[in-house]
Amino acid sequence: MKKLFLALLFAGAAGCVPPPARVDVPLTEALDKAYTVDLPVGWIRHFAQDKTLLASRDGFTLQTIGITHLPAEQAFPKTKKSVTEGVLPSELAELQIAEMKAETQQMAALVVIENEPAVLDGRDGFRVRVSYHTARGLEVHRVTYGVPDKSGYYRIEYVAPKLYYFDATFADFEKVVSSMRIAGGGKVAAK
Amino acid sequence: MLMVTTAAAIAAAPALRPFSSSDSAKPESGEEQRVWGQAIEFAEEIRKSAIVYRDEPVTAYVQSVMSRLFPEFNGRIRVQVVQAPQLNAFALPDGDIYVNLGLLARFQNEAQLATVLAHEGTHFTHRHGFRNQQNLKSSAAFASVTAMLGVPILPQLVAASSIFGFSREMESEADSVGYERLARAGYDVREAPQVFEHLAREVKAEGIDEPYFFASHPKLKERIDNMTKLSAKAAAGGAGSSRADYAKLMTKVRIDNLESELSMGRAKSALLMLEEPEHMAGLPPYAAYYRGEAYRLRGQDGDVLRAEQAYLEAVSASPEFAPSYRALGVHYLKANQYTEAAKHLSRYLELAPAAKDRTYVQNYLKVAQKKMGGQP
Repeated sequence: MKKLFLALLFAGAAGCVPPPARVDVPLTEALDKAYTVDLPVGWIRHFAQDKTLLASRDGFTLQTIGITHLPAEQAFPKTKKSVTEGVLPSELAELQIAEMKAETQQMAALVVIENEPAVLDGRDGFRVRVSYHTARGLEVHRVTYGVPDKSGYYRIEYVAPKLYYFDATFADFEKVVSSMRIAGGGKVAAK
Repeated sequence: MLMVTTAAAIAAAPALRPFSSSDSAKPESGEEQRVWGQAIEFAEEIRKSAIVYRDEPVTAYVQSVMSRLFPEFNGRIRVQVVQAPQLNAFALPDGDIYVNLGLLARFQNEAQLATVLAHEGTHFTHRHGFRNQQNLKSSAAFASVTAMLGVPILPQLVAASSIFGFSREMESEADSVGYERLARAGYDVREAPQVFEHLAREVKAEGIDEPYFFASHPKLKERIDNMTKLSAKAAAGGAGSSRADYAKLMTKVRIDNLESELSMGRAKSALLMLEEPEHMAGLPPYAAYYRGEAYRLRGQDGDVLRAEQAYLEAVSASPEFAPSYRALGVHYLKANQYTEAAKHLSRYLELAPAAKDRTYVQNYLKVAQKKMGGQP
């Protein structure tokens, strides 16, 4: 979490993205116009240097919603895997879990709590919930939705310490997920 | 640049006597005390991160090998296993030693494990952790190391200096003193070069430029040559060379490690074990399923067919092992062989009614059944 916060600071300092701002109008569009979402009013939203849209109510170290749109061939940079045509939702989830495990030593030991099919703006994908412990022993939960699209790979995530914060704003996250509209090239041919 | 600055710092560092027993293994200065304090703090972080592999018999076994190598340090050198498939191990300045699950799984016998433990134990007895920190602190090298590593996962100096490699001189010392320990404990020293051969194969399979554990180590080839030279005149008959005994002890470790490797997408590394008939012979009959998964994940030319053959082999060897049916079902679904897909997916759901991925499989089964209507 702290790492993410520092990354945010540096991302903002680079000056190529809009500065963090309070959400007054829910409808928010991606910088590359690939999607729109309704963010909760009163939260802080911020575009990271890689164009990931981040939002938090109490502070990015306490809860973060992150929305990312990546080209299919760069969907999983740490494991150097891509989203290929005909990939099944469970295979996509498998790639996402491997990518998360490659993030840190703590994440490598993550536990998958749930892994099931999900639909995001009419596209078939997955929803994975994992837990892991930080170096200070804090249990963190992370829920990730991912779907393929002709315009790339879309991922929306929610990360928060299990203690208090995860449950406190989880419903807000699910509303954001429901509000997501992908403006890209359309559904990938599904089986 | 890093090597030059570090080497200069080593030359300037005062010599420290190695510890000779548990009783003498104490910090001798406020500075060393502080380093040990950092080690304790770091060990606590490892504990809290829940990355330690919890299997008491396995941990006790590894500890027993360490105690055989370093009997005079009983109670001071403590070994734990880390849930990570990478071939790695590291020693903290206060005698806590961590061995990755991947090493235990990959080794073929106790003598190979003892080689690594003797090496890591020597890092402790020869106070390399403390010496390395002095070197790093007193030079610009630390800044380079931290910048290179990005450090954030392991913020302390002690972690960086222990995990990311000691100086070339210290590694050579740990190799040679460790080798003497190995011989004194009666192990078959002819197994020692194999340890570095495993590392070399891993480096090649995963396409790693320099494994971070060996960032400033002597080259692997050089170490293999040194170990081969040292052990060339050793007589046969040393202890710890039985592969069958070790395989029996490590069956669960190897399966757990395979699952970890595959969940991280490390298919090539997993195949190093799964393509070895001797290694496979020590695994349960359904292990061919993991070989199939590794081929599927690797995705090279011909791997789809190799995966199918491995899954079929697993079904034949272990007809009640559910995951093989799911894998075959998905394989046939992707190959537009819907009847076969439906048959195997149904069988999976029968065998694993409470499977976590049940909903996925039910969806795939529906697709297969729907498409079956259009098939001759």
